[in-house]
Amino acid sequence: MDEETEIEIYNYSEFVGSEEFMTFRTHLPVGSPAPDFQATLLETGLPVNLSEYWKKNDVLIEFGSFT
Amino acid sequence: MAREFASKGVEFVFLYTREAHPGENYPSHRSFEQKLAHARAFKAEFKVERPILVDDLVGTAHKLYGSLPNMTYLISRGGRVLFRADWTDPPTIEYAINYVLNSRARRREGLRLAPFYAELVGYRWNDPGKFQERLARAGRQAVDDFARAMEKRIRQPLRPGRIELPE
Repeated sequence: MDEETEIEIYNYSEFVGSEEFMTFRTHLPVGSPAPDFQATLLETGLPVNLSEYWKKNDVLIEFGSFT
Repeated sequence: MAREFASKGVEFVFLYTREAHPGENYPSHRSFEQKLAHARAFKAEFKVERPILVDDLVGTAHKLYGSLPNMTYLISRGGRVLFRADWTDPPTIEYAINYVLNSRARRREGLRLAPFYAELVGYRWNDPGKFQERLARAGRQAVDDFARAMEKRIRQPLRPGRIELPE
């Protein structure tokens, strides 16, 4: 899949429902190692790894968007 | 809540994902600059003080954790999932964090604690009026798409793991 298609599929332009509610229960159960990832810290524009936070502290991470 | 728990060693962060309900004012992202701009607007509008991490344009981080629009994970120091919920509900989060902090405190007092596996069906206060307000801010399209999706969902069974609480 080329990147443009991947971007358009992930960022759907019409909400039709969240199918992922059906698969969440088996996706990453409690006790699992938390997957690390790199994202952009909005305040600085710099890349940051989630693991940098859990090295020192427990981390509560909420996922969401404006809409 | 973030401030209260910061002193107890729990750091709150927010991961900015795709637009769950794209509309005329906040359409689906087509560039990373646009996603950053939406995240900045979100921070200003809802006065978010937590660090906001912006995921890449194809949702790499979001997909790793299950791709739901408003989920929460509590991760231990060292990187294990201690609690998670397919919807973000502050009282439930508070309950989960306090449970973890209390367990640590009990262990520090010398109690021998054996780990076990537990699950929970959640019940959250749902304010449809407030939700519709949020949709309206995204734009007319977000309101209409949601209404159509709900019509479809009414004909389907409750999602797995969700049951009405018997009286």
